[in-house]
Amino acid sequence: MIKILFTFMALILAVPAHAVDGNELLEQVDRNLNPESYESYRKLINIEPNGSKKEFVLFTVKKGKEKVAAMFISPASEKGRSTLRLDENMWLYIPNIGKPIRITSLQSVVGGVFNNADILRLDYTSEYSVEQVEENDEGYLLHLKAKTKSVAYDKLKMWVNRDNMLPSKIESLTEDSMLIKTLYFKDVKDFGEGVVRPSIVETDSPLYKDYKSVMIFAEIKEREFKDEVFTLTFMPNMDSLR
Amino acid sequence: MRLFILLIVASVLFPQLILAESEYSFSLDEIEKKPYSLGGYVEARPVLFGLDDDAALYKLKLYNQDLGKTAEEYNARLQLEGGYEKGIAKFYTKINIDMQESYLGWKDTETILEGYLSLKPSSSLNIIAGKKALKWGKGYAWTPVAFVDRMKNPDDPDLALEGFIGLFADYVKSFSGRLKTVSFTPVLIPVYEDINDDFGETDHVNFAGKLYLLLYDTDIDFIILAGGSKTASYGFDFSRNITSNFEVHGEFAFINNFEKKFINSAGDTFLNTYDAKSYLLGIRYLTGLDTTFIAEYYHNGTGFTDGEMEDYFSFINTAYGTYAASGNDNALGKALKLTEGNYGSINPMKDYLYVRVSQKDPFYILYFTPSLTGIYNINDQSFSLSPELLYAGITNLELRLKTSFLIGGSKSEYGEKQNDYRVEFRVRYYF
Repeated sequence: MIKILFTFMALILAVPAHAVDGNELLEQVDRNLNPESYESYRKLINIEPNGSKKEFVLFTVKKGKEKVAAMFISPASEKGRSTLRLDENMWLYIPNIGKPIRITSLQSVVGGVFNNADILRLDYTSEYSVEQVEENDEGYLLHLKAKTKSVAYDKLKMWVNRDNMLPSKIESLTEDSMLIKTLYFKDVKDFGEGVVRPSIVETDSPLYKDYKSVMIFAEIKEREFKDEVFTLTFMPNMDSLR
Repeated sequence: MRLFILLIVASVLFPQLILAESEYSFSLDEIEKKPYSLGGYVEARPVLFGLDDDAALYKLKLYNQDLGKTAEEYNARLQLEGGYEKGIAKFYTKINIDMQESYLGWKDTETILEGYLSLKPSSSLNIIAGKKALKWGKGYAWTPVAFVDRMKNPDDPDLALEGFIGLFADYVKSFSGRLKTVSFTPVLIPVYEDINDDFGETDHVNFAGKLYLLLYDTDIDFIILAGGSKTASYGFDFSRNITSNFEVHGEFAFINNFEKKFINSAGDTFLNTYDAKSYLLGIRYLTGLDTTFIAEYYHNGTGFTDGEMEDYFSFINTAYGTYAASGNDNALGKALKLTEGNYGSINPMKDYLYVRVSQKDPFYILYFTPSLTGIYNINDQSFSLSPELLYAGITNLELRLKTSFLIGGSKSEYGEKQNDYRVEFRVRYYF
């Protein structure tokens, strides 16, 4: 009888952990990483096994759940290039070519380990649902599943710190659970106006052995934009937002 | 403690330096916006041509020269881009300075590709006055609906093109729902003796317009050109991602009362007026291994038929025979005149297939992209094949080695070109 009571009590106590709403957690992570609409400056560094580096500086704007655009400020060879993402539609505008062309989330406008989906990232909640939540001493491990086939990675494993509800690590996986890349979130920093988030995101990939790519945030702040900013017509004029 | 104080003092004295982590730095100087901008690139491009002295176009263009089997050409280019922005106004210009030393001698040209003043009173409206290249159309190698652009070269479709002088505007509106964006681009192109005289017939002000829709995740453009310098033209294009790595695009152009001037083998010239229809269908596909395939089929309604091209080549051969026998080059001069902007235009025949396969970062060599491009003339089965190696691993430096082989039988487009092959090395430095 005591055994049965113990089992019953253990089951009751176990409920709160399972009752954690994974999608609510993910929504919190999204809002802690950035305001829903914002502007930011980022530097991307591709580091090769021999230590040589190539750096790109991007100005990024985002509105709502499905609109994001970025423009290269440097190096000179990339200056003025802009990318636009509306939900799953992506375009690249190269000043010399003079017209936007459609690109895919799996390509990379900068080369290296970051692809277009990483650079023009939407909120995680807009692309993924939480299938399972594991709780541990540090926080949570969220198992994410893509809502549609067109999302770049079919599955994500996201480690979230309980203290600040920010991710510390994300593994990107294929449908067959093959690891494509790992993102490491580091150096949590106060960017002002309530934005406190990791200022460095490092990534490596078994597909790019000994290569590393790093994203550094210099500025991120809430800002509202007109919808027309996120159109093909506006792409050549992104610099006017700075 | 001392170290801590030192760090605080350093952060006060050098606030512009954001040390994200000791190994990475990101200075605010790097993101500071200035009202002016100046940039561009400098380029060196030596080319080696393998000549075909049996080809009709060799006989036409080089009949009075003895160049042997190969010819060298040395090209240099400085492209300057500058801008100045104040409030809603922006001035922008892009200039090419080209120098060339070849078997034809020394040549240098300066071209203002673009130069305009734009006013942007809101994110929905942009008004531009000056010289601007529009680059309409969705095709990669060919764009039959680009009625107000100069023809691009499918052998190097990414090159900047020279614009036309005019008045341009963009009005854009966004919506939620299936129709996400509507934009309208009206254009006025005046054509007079000293302005845009290479656009078409002079003494006309031409109107062009483009209506763009992003509807059901598909880019759609409706295009019109009217005004008299060229015959009225109407077009339509689209582009859509079927899956995240598979894109389809197409164009359709209708050119009213197109005038085609052609020659028979005896040298008599004819003018045929008809409504021309050109169209293009293309795909872009990316594999999991980062291989990109671009394929396009192009039907050129304004192009020449097999028979018309064969007559043209026969006439050149006859004219060359006359020159060889008597030294009289009048007939060659007549053929040369008809070649310019007519038979001599890029891909002058009816049906073409373009295929480009490029591989990003093979063998884990970052920024290295080898590719192979083929342009196949379906009508006469001649073709060009261009392997290319591109490396952009050093910041702002781009190296490209490209070879092209032109293959085709007698009286075919690629078989009668003056070169059998071409090797080109391009070094470009951006600043």
